[in-house]
Amino acid sequence: MSRRYDSRTTIFSPEGRLYQVEYAMEAIGNAGSAIGILAKDGVVLVGEKKVTSKLLQTSTSTEKMYKIDDHLACAVAGIMSDANILINNARVQAQRYTYAYQEPMPVEQLVQSLCDTKQGYTQFGGLRPFGVSFLFAGWDKNYGFQLYMSDPSGNYSGWKAAAIGANNQAAQSMLKQDYKDDIMREEAVQLALKVLSKTMDSTSLTSEKLELAEVFLTPSGNVKYQVCSPDSLSKLLLKFGVAQLFTEAS
Amino acid sequence: MSIFEYNGSALVAMVGKNCFAIASDRRLGVQLQTIATDFQRISKIHDRLFLGLSGLATDAQTLYQRLLFRHKLYQLREERDMKPETFANLVSALLYEKRFGPYFCQPVIAGLGDEDKPFICTMDSIGAKELAKDFVVAGTASESLYGACESMFKEDMEPEELFETVSQALLSSVDRDCLSGWGGHVYVVTPTEVKERILKGRMD
Repeated sequence: MSRRYDSRTTIFSPEGRLYQVEYAMEAIGNAGSAIGILAKDGVVLVGEKKVTSKLLQTSTSTEKMYKIDDHLACAVAGIMSDANILINNARVQAQRYTYAYQEPMPVEQLVQSLCDTKQGYTQFGGLRPFGVSFLFAGWDKNYGFQLYMSDPSGNYSGWKAAAIGANNQAAQSMLKQDYKDDIMREEAVQLALKVLSKTMDSTSLTSEKLELAEVFLTPSGNVKYQVCSPDSLSKLLLKFGVAQLFTEAS
Repeated sequence: MSIFEYNGSALVAMVGKNCFAIASDRRLGVQLQTIATDFQRISKIHDRLFLGLSGLATDAQTLYQRLLFRHKLYQLREERDMKPETFANLVSALLYEKRFGPYFCQPVIAGLGDEDKPFICTMDSIGAKELAKDFVVAGTASESLYGACESMFKEDMEPEELFETVSQALLSSVDRDCLSGWGGHVYVVTPTEVKERILKGRMD
């Protein structure tokens, strides 16, 4: 690992690597994990909340999941302040598209434009890359439900199931084993919670440590992004048998 | 010929008891020729906020799209809908931005604010707000509308009576104006529901 080539984003190392981008990905590896699963009737996003303290002022806003437009949402892993800038960027891009074309922005186009922004910070300007990875979940009339993952380098690809953040490799291999192509939303929620419970470091799984959001079509045909309330989430954890009770005998 | 009279329009908003009504005509014309009889002049910003735009139709459409853009971003960032008073300030600011090349529109804003208190206001094409407690009017038929509303308006009307009053005021005023008419479109909004009704008037 050559230290001479890592202080500037805008130079390659002799081995052909961009160290700043790789260090950004390291930062994300320490952040709370997030899992996304594409189902036939929707997309499921589950996130692990790292910041839990009794002193924290609980509000209705979420820590890991953000709505970008009515038909698009994302889960974040990494430096929150960097994520806020990019999410705001994404929201404005989506609205600009709607203003120009009077229709919702296609999911891949939004992901692409955001990744173009991220790429800019790896090639010019001398500024460090964003230390965030995203999981984008959305629906458009061209390709239906989609799930995309993007990283600090500005690379993105479409996935059937993906994991970002801490222990993402373990989560990814577990998803590879258990994912089925014709999975429905409820099973996807179950799978996501199961995988997250196995890869999370914490000893007990409660609704305070998790966030669950889904993108699906309502019976009237509109796309809806919904965050699960803590009560429903607790019920789901019990239902799927992943909530580890404190009084469980060894 | 004034640019404000190019397409023809009539808009009125009235306050009732914990409710409001906003109504418009349905004609879209190009000076003397009528080209549409189902033109939507009133748009929903959110469930408790409606915006009517009179004047040049192309500016009305663009202005509405810009306002929707701003409101959507506000909703995403603040995680709540905009209050009518705030929205009125936004419209006023947006119009004044174009002080020396304005949008040829006169907006009418109607919404339910905090504690379901109805809020109505209108402004000129460069954003001078006019808040009123009873009714506001706009469009080519505005002079007739002022007269009709002044005589027909009563305070604290229930939604059904408010609907009748607004409809009568609108239809009688557009009948005196050749550039507006071809029926009416009335929205009566209470804290629990939004009732949309089409009026059949003199189809000319």
